[in-house]
Amino acid sequence: MKVKILRWHAVASWTWDAQDETCGICRMAFDGCCPDCKLPGDDCPLIWGACNHAFHLHCILKWVNSQTSQAHCPMCRREWQFKE
Amino acid sequence: MEALGSSDCNLEILETLSDDAIQEITESYDGFFTTVESLISGTGDSSVEDEFVSQVYCLCKYGLDSLVRDHFLRSLEQAFEKGGASSFWQHFDAYSEKKLTNYGEEIQVVLCKALEEISVEKQYHEKCLSIVVHALQSYKEQSSVDRQTSDTERVHLFSRFQSMLSSTLMTTLPQHFPEILHWYFKERLEELSAIMDGEQEDDCMDLDEKLRYKNGEMDVDEGYSQGKRLGHDKLVKNIGKVVRDLRSIGFTSMAENAYASAIFLLLKAKVHDLAGDDYRTSVLESIKEWIQTVPLQFLNALLSYLGDSVSYGTTSSDLTSPLACCPSPSFSKVVTPSEGIVRWKLRLEYFAYETLQDLRIAKLFEIIVDYPESSPAIEDLKQCLEYTGQHSKLVESFISSLKYRLLTAGASTNDILHQYVSTIKALRAIDPAGVFLEAVGEPIRDYLRGRKDTIKCIVTMLTDGSGGNANGSGNPGDSLLEELMRDEENQENVGFDDDFHTDDKQAWLNASRWEPDPVEADPLKGSLSQRKVDILGMLVDIIGSKEQLVNEYRVMLAEKLLNKTDYDIDTEIRTVELLKIHFGEASMQRCEIMLNDLIDSKRVNTNIKKASQTGAELRENELSVDTLTSTILSTNFWPPIQDEPLELPGPIDKLLSDYANRYHEIKTPRKLLWKKNLGTVKLELQFEDRALQFTVSPTHAAIIMQFQEKKSWTYKDLAAVIGIPIDALNRRVNFWISKGVLKESTGANSDSNVLTLVESITDSGKNEGEEELLTGEEESETSIASVEDQLHKEMTIYEKFIMGMLTNFGGMALERIHNTLKMFCVADPSYDKSLQQLQSFLSGLVSEEKLEFRDGMYLLKK
Repeated sequence: MKVKILRWHAVASWTWDAQDETCGICRMAFDGCCPDCKLPGDDCPLIWGACNHAFHLHCILKWVNSQTSQAHCPMCRREWQFKE
Repeated sequence: MEALGSSDCNLEILETLSDDAIQEITESYDGFFTTVESLISGTGDSSVEDEFVSQVYCLCKYGLDSLVRDHFLRSLEQAFEKGGASSFWQHFDAYSEKKLTNYGEEIQVVLCKALEEISVEKQYHEKCLSIVVHALQSYKEQSSVDRQTSDTERVHLFSRFQSMLSSTLMTTLPQHFPEILHWYFKERLEELSAIMDGEQEDDCMDLDEKLRYKNGEMDVDEGYSQGKRLGHDKLVKNIGKVVRDLRSIGFTSMAENAYASAIFLLLKAKVHDLAGDDYRTSVLESIKEWIQTVPLQFLNALLSYLGDSVSYGTTSSDLTSPLACCPSPSFSKVVTPSEGIVRWKLRLEYFAYETLQDLRIAKLFEIIVDYPESSPAIEDLKQCLEYTGQHSKLVESFISSLKYRLLTAGASTNDILHQYVSTIKALRAIDPAGVFLEAVGEPIRDYLRGRKDTIKCIVTMLTDGSGGNANGSGNPGDSLLEELMRDEENQENVGFDDDFHTDDKQAWLNASRWEPDPVEADPLKGSLSQRKVDILGMLVDIIGSKEQLVNEYRVMLAEKLLNKTDYDIDTEIRTVELLKIHFGEASMQRCEIMLNDLIDSKRVNTNIKKASQTGAELRENELSVDTLTSTILSTNFWPPIQDEPLELPGPIDKLLSDYANRYHEIKTPRKLLWKKNLGTVKLELQFEDRALQFTVSPTHAAIIMQFQEKKSWTYKDLAAVIGIPIDALNRRVNFWISKGVLKESTGANSDSNVLTLVESITDSGKNEGEEELLTGEEESETSIASVEDQLHKEMTIYEKFIMGMLTNFGGMALERIHNTLKMFCVADPSYDKSLQQLQSFLSGLVSEEKLEFRDGMYLLKK
């Protein structure tokens, strides 16, 4: 007997490949979204800093913009630079 | 003379009488006796009369006029008793044994004849009486100055005679006579009704004209349907004559009772006949019309024949307007004849309303079962109730029929809900304020709360609309989806109403529109404003909170979406949009994300396909990426999904990891995590002699694919290869066994049972029908943890608390456990369950025999 697959509909879940579970700023799950967003995923992406800490893009932007001088990573206090 | 004339006979008078006088009295007394006898028996001639008069004179002279009256009436009574009364009743003796229904036609003749005879006799007696009256009068005129007494004499004597007559008849009244009368009127009315029915067809006069017509203004429509009219008039005349004769012998009330009850009986029969079991047409109008054409016309004719209508009219006009002491003659002439009729009309209509109402209330359950079609019946009922005001009757009878017929273990939750929705709709039509609905809905709601699958059914009803989910034929849910849409349309107005009225004018308008609650409203249950009749609201009320409903819906939606392979979610989007309007955007947020996942998955899927289009030629055993599609979830927003480990065969695994890699390339840094046990696989089994197509779960596919290389497996080995527990494997394998693809042969113990592939159809000695059952069972397995399971998982945290509590306090009631948990479990995770949820969890513990439930208290099981 041979089995011929005509169609395979699979189910998967996506995840940001971050080391941590939740965003250090808003304490929401990375795989969820920041408090200002409604839809997770593309609409509320993650961003890594040079220090390898990840945050919701919207969260870290808010943080960076609120700092008068050079912003620091909220987690490790190093100068905040977006990872290339 | 004065002394003699005085009525008290003191014995001294006797002594003042001379012997001559005594002699004269005795003589005239004897003479009086004989003449009375001959007069009454009618044997004498005119000389007897003269003699009689002189005797009366003589007796009166000695003040014995009361003796004259008394004796005369006494003799009349005796004569009447012997003659008239007994012969009158003799006519009906023949019918004493018969039952009401079969008096036959001849009774009419008999009745008429009897009445005729007795009237003749009565007339004769009256004639005799008038002789006496005449004699007494003329005597008085000669001797007395007091003229006025003369007429009272007459009235007095005749009324005595009348009451003597009727009391004689009454005392000898046979039991069956009222029945005979009743039957007579019933027959006549039916006859009349038949004539009228025939007439109605070619009768297009309006009612005013008819009334005028019946009132005797024949010249208006003289030529009109003369024949039938004549027949009708004759009939009415006959009846009128009977009634008049009955009245004259003092049977006024009996006659009226008889024809009234006959009319009511006929009306009742007519209502039953018209209303019947058909709820699709409104019958109220035709009943009213019938009342107008048959019984009212009859009464009109009857009353005018008897000349009663006028007297009715004057008394009633006196009653209604005591101020108008002398109404203008023309006015009274126009209005008064109809007064009696109007009373009758009101009586008849009320009776009709009541009858119809009772009929409809008794059948309300059936009417509501086919509600949208039966709305004319509901409309009728509404009108009836407006007149009769017997709403409480409706509530009581409907609740008892609900309890008896609907709220039983045998009725499915779906049916109950459907009936509940129909009830809401129907009663909303009858009573927009929703007062009675509240009373009726209470037992249904209470009952539904006790059912486990209520939430599920409600959600199914809400969502499985006309949108064409395959399993719904004659889906009862349509109505609810409609309801959702209706709500959507009304949304604007509602929003406006709920807002603050900054506008004073608007506030004033609202205030002026205020209406008090009906008297039947239960003051404990809030006022009208809160009692908005809102079907969804009432359904949510059963569940307890909208969160629970939304939660249940989410689980169902997840299940539905996971089973989709074509990304076609238009109906789901629509439903979610509608629910969003009703329950608010925030509570539907997660559902929206789920839908969005599907949309994204579709897009990603096409992107990945495009990217891999350039890929190299397929090698042996490799599968084209085109066969693979995927649904990619944002797990955090989906209900917990039952994850089961599964080892897929090499080619498939490779396909999946390639796909995941592509995804990673497109959506860096996101990664895909496969839930290998979920999804749908469409495959074809190609045997030597046949090919079979199946749509199965990945686990099933993995199982059957293992048989490509090796024709037989032990359970143990197969489970190890696929990476699932043996009991899970067992369940899955049953599917293939039932399809006749695999065969099981028993080994030494259950673990060493061997599964063998059935290569050709001739090897399979399968009984298909029996195995179908197993498939059905398999089909019901779901990939989403049900709300109950989730709840159970969440509640287990509190199990320890509850156990500790019960150890300390002994028995505790549900409410107390609930409150204690609320008080003490505030820290992470805080207790946020509803009373119902706690109750179902506790009853779970009871069935696990951890707790005991006695007299409303939960106890530790010892």
